[in-house]
Amino acid sequence: MKRLFILLLTMAVTLFPLQAQEAWCPEPTNRLVNDYAGELSADEVEMLEQRLVAFNDSTSNQILVIITPTLHGGEIMDVGTRIGTKWGVGQKDLKNGLVILIKSKCDEEPYGDVALLPGYGLEGALPDAFCKHIIDDEMIDALANGNYYKALTKALDVIEPVCRGEYSYKEYRRKENREALFGLLITIGTIVLVLLLLAWVAKKSGGKGTGTGTPFTGGSHTGGYWGGGFGGSSGGFSSGGFGGFGGGSFGGGGAHGRF
Amino acid sequence: MKKGTLIIIAIIAVVAIGVLWGVGVYNKLVNGEENVSNAWSQVENVYKRRADLIPQLVATVQGAANYEKGTLTEVIEARAKATSVQVDANNLTEENVAQFQKAQDNLTGALSRGLNVIVERYPELTATKGFQDLQVQLEGTENRITTERAKFNDAVAEYNKSLRRFPNNIVAGISGFQKKGYFTAPEGSDEPVKVEFDF
Repeated sequence: MKRLFILLLTMAVTLFPLQAQEAWCPEPTNRLVNDYAGELSADEVEMLEQRLVAFNDSTSNQILVIITPTLHGGEIMDVGTRIGTKWGVGQKDLKNGLVILIKSKCDEEPYGDVALLPGYGLEGALPDAFCKHIIDDEMIDALANGNYYKALTKALDVIEPVCRGEYSYKEYRRKENREALFGLLITIGTIVLVLLLLAWVAKKSGGKGTGTGTPFTGGSHTGGYWGGGFGGSSGGFSSGGFGGFGGGSFGGGGAHGRF
Repeated sequence: MKKGTLIIIAIIAVVAIGVLWGVGVYNKLVNGEENVSNAWSQVENVYKRRADLIPQLVATVQGAANYEKGTLTEVIEARAKATSVQVDANNLTEENVAQFQKAQDNLTGALSRGLNVIVERYPELTATKGFQDLQVQLEGTENRITTERAKFNDAVAEYNKSLRRFPNNIVAGISGFQKKGYFTAPEGSDEPVKVEFDF
């Protein structure tokens, strides 16, 4: 019954897209685990963070966890989609981000709500009904008992293997290499073109003034292309800490459940 | 150099700068139009997703033991009407978008009324896992519709802004770019929607 009312409410929101645009969204940080409600201990935050950073490093999938005591009146799926888009969770081209948003109980708002929101690229691995099952079977009980760490690790135990199959690090790397190769080809093409032009100019002007300045311009071009090709990749994959969000996008898929 | 030659060079330079600027504006408008088309195809996708779920819903409800004919007639008719209104991405005028929205919003209303009836008449059915999964899918689809509609409106707002701003509108007028339509809140919706329920 409850679910149906939520569905009706969602439909009402669809009819009023202008009002829905004013929803609250926290400012991006450079961490994958953000507990604004203080439901996790410092150790638990650190363990989860390391787990998610390792998962990002090995698969390029980015999972963002946010725990907040209030949504400032926003609807949880709407707020979650906004967070995913604004923070740019997931790689830009693979769109393989996942937002786990938990609204904890507090005195002013004594109900909890948890949502799983996959980006466009993970909607296939995590369809809405599957998200709902993960929430119902793995998370709700632990969350109701106040054990947020257990709820999150149990959910991740299911989510990680499923998403790992969807986008492997290898596949991501391959795509990157293809782009780098393309950049290299353009660079070589530019150099050849400049040299041909120089040879033509030299021939026309009867061998006078070979123009040492011009190859230098070609050289700086090379620098530009290489910088572009590899600069982007280093952001997401620095070893150690989390390297930053990749610019993934979200379409509003996923599910949520109250506790 | 002669004075005449200088004047000719100056005129050529001014014309060249003008053409270059015009090409820049033109390309920007083309980009904007492309973004709008992409956003529109996403909008069509999510609405199609919903249209595809409705036959499943109908089949599930028809399987209920005490099924009464006509329970979902309104939904089926509204779906047929909604799927018959197709708008080409190259023809997103205000009237066309409004017409599309009217048919789809009509289906939203019919669907929410239909679901209310189902809950009242078939409590055993709504307790099954299959029906609940379907409900989750419908809910997810409604979320997607909200998201894609907002993204489409953003893309159109950006395009229309660059189209109507002076002096871009000169280039737009010459090359035949047209203003595009938005999704709007329905009439009489200035008041925030009130839905009251107990959890």
